[in-house]
Amino acid sequence: MAELTQNEKRLLAVLEKEHKADAPHLASLLDATSEAVVQWAHLAEDKGVATVERLVAKEFVYSEEGKAYAKNGLPETQLFRFIMPGTTLADLQKHEAFRIGFGQLRKKGLVKVDGTSVVKIPGASTDADEAALNHPTASDPRTKELIRRGIVQESETVRYAIAITPAGLSLAKKGLDLREESGTLTREQILTGAWKTANLRRYDVTKLPKKAYPGKIHPYQRIIAEMREILLEMGFTELYGGIVQQSYWNFDVLFQPQDHPAREMQDTFYLKETLPLPKGYEKVKAMHETGGETSSTGWGGVWKEEKAEQCVLRTHTTSVSIQHLAKNPNPPVKAFCVGRVYRRETIDTTHLAEFEQLEGIVMDEGVTFGNLLGILREFYHRMGFEGVRFKPSYYPYTEPSLDAEVFVEGIGWMEMGGAGVFREEVTAPLGINYPVLAWGLGVSRIAMLRLGLKDLRYLHRSDVAFLRETPALRYTKGGE
Amino acid sequence: MAVITLPYKYLERLTRTDKKTILDKIALIGSDVERTEEDHADVEFFPDRPDLFSTEGVARAMRGYLGIETGLPSYQVKPSGISFTVDPALVTIRPVLGAAVIRGVEFDDESIQSIMSLQESLHWAVGRGRSKVAIGIHDLDTVKPPFRYIASPRSRKFIPLDYTEEMTMDEILEKHPKGRDYAKIVKDFPLFPLIVDKDDHVLSFPPIINGERTRVTIDTKNILLDTTGTDTRAVGVAVNIICTAMAEAGATIESVGIGGVQTPTLAPAERTVSVQECSRLLGIDLTSATMTSLLQKMRFGAVPVGGDKVKVQVPCYRADIMHDWDLFEDVAIAYGYDRIQALPPATFTVGKPHPVQVNAALAREAFCGLGYLEVMPFTLTNEDTLYKKMRREEKSGVLHVMHPISIENTVVRTELLPLLLEFLALNRHRELPQRLFTVGDVVDSCLTYQQAAGVSMHPDADFSEAYASADAVLHELSIDYTVKESADMAFIEGRRGDIIVAGKKIGVFGEIHPFVLNAFELEHSVAAFEFDLRAVPGYPAL
Repeated sequence: MAELTQNEKRLLAVLEKEHKADAPHLASLLDATSEAVVQWAHLAEDKGVATVERLVAKEFVYSEEGKAYAKNGLPETQLFRFIMPGTTLADLQKHEAFRIGFGQLRKKGLVKVDGTSVVKIPGASTDADEAALNHPTASDPRTKELIRRGIVQESETVRYAIAITPAGLSLAKKGLDLREESGTLTREQILTGAWKTANLRRYDVTKLPKKAYPGKIHPYQRIIAEMREILLEMGFTELYGGIVQQSYWNFDVLFQPQDHPAREMQDTFYLKETLPLPKGYEKVKAMHETGGETSSTGWGGVWKEEKAEQCVLRTHTTSVSIQHLAKNPNPPVKAFCVGRVYRRETIDTTHLAEFEQLEGIVMDEGVTFGNLLGILREFYHRMGFEGVRFKPSYYPYTEPSLDAEVFVEGIGWMEMGGAGVFREEVTAPLGINYPVLAWGLGVSRIAMLRLGLKDLRYLHRSDVAFLRETPALRYTKGGE
Repeated sequence: MAVITLPYKYLERLTRTDKKTILDKIALIGSDVERTEEDHADVEFFPDRPDLFSTEGVARAMRGYLGIETGLPSYQVKPSGISFTVDPALVTIRPVLGAAVIRGVEFDDESIQSIMSLQESLHWAVGRGRSKVAIGIHDLDTVKPPFRYIASPRSRKFIPLDYTEEMTMDEILEKHPKGRDYAKIVKDFPLFPLIVDKDDHVLSFPPIINGERTRVTIDTKNILLDTTGTDTRAVGVAVNIICTAMAEAGATIESVGIGGVQTPTLAPAERTVSVQECSRLLGIDLTSATMTSLLQKMRFGAVPVGGDKVKVQVPCYRADIMHDWDLFEDVAIAYGYDRIQALPPATFTVGKPHPVQVNAALAREAFCGLGYLEVMPFTLTNEDTLYKKMRREEKSGVLHVMHPISIENTVVRTELLPLLLEFLALNRHRELPQRLFTVGDVVDSCLTYQQAAGVSMHPDADFSEAYASADAVLHELSIDYTVKESADMAFIEGRRGDIIVAGKKIGVFGEIHPFVLNAFELEHSVAAFEFDLRAVPGYPAL
């Protein structure tokens, strides 16, 4: 049996003498409210030492309207009594009970209208209705009708009879510790040693705790942090750069032709701002037009400065890493960047106009396409994806290019990111003389998988309850 | 991306093997099988390989990849004797013309469908929506050579495709569905491009619409191809891709004279590449013999020349081969990505986080310690949220995107606090107190930097809480600050403070004004603060 609280013990001590009593009586003995006593009794009942009986008494009372009718008769009775041979409808309309009473008379079929006069149906009577009004009973259908009409009301009175059980009685007989309980251990009790005799209230450990919500970082941030940590462990330097980029760094340096569809207004967020081109842009121009001094043919056509000067919201973080490379052309460079990128997409459950991209580059003497595959395999393994495979792909600024796919239990192979070796058309104008391995992945795709989200918008317009409930550690197997 | 429909029967006949063998390997040449149906598969190819935008082109590539027929496909071209003249007035309008005669065509519903779909895919991938290249296909036997490509008055009348009455070219732009779709390419020119035959019958109004007269039907035996545009290379590529695809289907190709030059030749381009350079790039050991056979598998002509070199003949339809590395990618594809040893690079390097992110993490730690929950709002928002609801003046450095997707996303955020208030509104029904924070990028006049902001909403939230929380976070970041009475209208007068560092305002805190609470439809008081992380001592210059 669970431990009794102080109040339950007091109740039991009283019940030991009373055996069975009403709540108000016990309340007066215990100097408490009836409600409190009933609550204690319920708890004591759960522990098998008392029983609580809920006694409901029903009675019928008159409404204000009903009180008048009980005295004067129902409106239809009043009218019925008023009708004499020769009473006309006009006479009847003058009666104060007409409005309610006449409808009832017609409904009950007690009268009929004969020309201008109203006559009683032979044998008609309102006696039974009056009897029901004077003595309402639960079994009488006429009572129900009176309740419906708001004349009679049903009233319930609840009474609790509390009794001790044999188990309770034997417990009480053994003697109950009725000393005062204290809720908290006070400084004084600790210092004076009074704690030795203090009667600390016991708690019921089977009850749920009150909810407390810790402050914590966003589950999505946690995934980003995990990826950053993996890359830092793998020896990459982190980059940070602006959201607003010149088309030059976002597209042109990356050998994206100026008429490429991705550069159009419907795919990229353009700004009216422009920035002057950096020194040496002529090499990029020459690369686009003729292939510069490389084995490339270039795109042909005329490369326009004003197109390159236009600012955009970056469509990839490659615009940040390529500037890092341009500033640091000496090997080795291993760098990564996580940041918001922008595409002019119509927003729905799987497409956002802004999302996080993780992007990395490796520039070193003698690095190969095979090394790129090696980095990706290692990264995805560390993210918890056992199965990783690669297939040919196309990106305007890498050659060879690939897409990485990972195996997800229950879904199958999922595309996770793109990669490749920067084209010589990208590196040569910047004076970079070594191969550059580059790869990127959509962070939100992994987040959706990990957090089991169906709607990407939820990452950015989150329900606080979801954030509170999502634990910091999400135990997963196989990168699910 | 272009999704190409491959009917199995036609594909199997052209590839000379069964569909299972083809579909098992098709992704390995660079594609995604979107879906497989009873009688066809829909396969997506990359935009750099327009030569794969037809069943004929795919079959040609797969025969090589599967070893059924390797090396350079050769195409015979003999002169047709047909010639075109090009009006010099077109120089500023649409100067480039390509053309060819395709004879002995045996059309059925499927192959007409195939060539029409190739034409559309090329318009998209090579033609940039017809502005750079537009292709017209005509029944040669309905018109008489020689042909003239002219700059015509806009009042010229003819019957456009799918119509029965004559219309002027201006009317076509206004009324014909294709005219409306593509009017923007030509509408500003005083004269319009037009191709006519010996008798002045109209073949085509490029890049808008063909004439009804030359409509290609199932009975068409001989085709005249016209390709016009602004870029010689792109026009050439489109001609080559269509001609070689038709040749694969069994037709014969004949050249035409344009300004005295016979075209197309369908001749391969040549490139001599280094075996060593390829090995080094891919990280695999190659001999000139293996590299030669891998290139042949990808339908290049290849012969070893000297120890390290391979002479490569690039088929005329391979528009994507701009650089030696483009060939090396094909070598890698032929070799198989799965066979390349995946080894991380050997050079030792030490990882280093960026100070901006280190500071952001420290700020997050401080907020979490105070019981604040992180949220990550969008960076695109609108003037209403950022300024109007906050009773603040629009910042001069706010960036407006030129073509917003909706009125909700018109500017890049310059502050975080309004977005947090929006968040509280979104979570109105959730248990209080709610303490939320965010640390992230804001943009002012093209410069991106980070701010941190926190809000606390509950019935007892007040100035003291805002001050205490701001003080705690600032202290954790070693920001030495003073406070001055603020004039920020977003807060209640007498319950707001500016955070000052080195004489400059770097942030603000206080109790949010009831006007603002009403504007965001919040029902409880909010203690809030926001500051610029660039005030952290030792913060990197951005």
